[in-house]
Amino acid sequence: MSGSDEETEELQVWKVLSEAGLVEIRLDEFAARINDVKRMVMVRLHKLLDFNASIQECESAAYLLGTLKELELKLQANAPKPPDS
Amino acid sequence: MMQSTARQLCIEASWPPAEGEIITFKSSNGFEMNILKEVRWGLVWRDFILEDGRVIPEHRISGGPQRQVWRKISEVSDIEREECEGRLLAMAAVGMDPRKRDESFWAELNQYLAYTYLRFKPSSPEEKQKTAAT
Repeated sequence: MSGSDEETEELQVWKVLSEAGLVEIRLDEFAARINDVKRMVMVRLHKLLDFNASIQECESAAYLLGTLKELELKLQANAPKPPDS
Repeated sequence: MMQSTARQLCIEASWPPAEGEIITFKSSNGFEMNILKEVRWGLVWRDFILEDGRVIPEHRISGGPQRQVWRKISEVSDIEREECEGRLLAMAAVGMDPRKRDESFWAELNQYLAYTYLRFKPSSPEEKQKTAAT
């Protein structure tokens, strides 16, 4: 791969992550971004299972999903309470 | 153009700055300066750890090369990813809050979500539609 191809690929990655709001997640958007990524992993895991992908790949996706779910629950539990409550 | 290319090569050759150097970076308060303690690779990009403990992603550091080096997802081993997951869960378990900008939980969770997105992002329009509908 040439230097300019790599540069284009890096720019592409930057663009993809920026569009997904994942280069610098806004402080009030962590829960939403975790949810977005979690949904995406769920779709991929479903596909991996449908296509009989390797057990290792399925396990890896399932483990990631578990981590995201756990993080989501912990963040919900630690979320700042609204001032009125 | 020649001068600019030569200047870029010079910057790239001396990048990243050494431990103990003063660096300038963009924060929510504008541009700030601080002492660099360590440069550390995350799952996707490099983080600059400051003496005061803040973690600044490389793309917010001034004076670096125009072209920043990011890791390819395939370069991240399962062990490295699992270690990152362990740290994230430990930080969440003790009640740390990622909504504190430039702190380690914020920095690490940012990179973990970016890494996971790049690894599992939908490649076809059908997959994109399915993800959106889930």
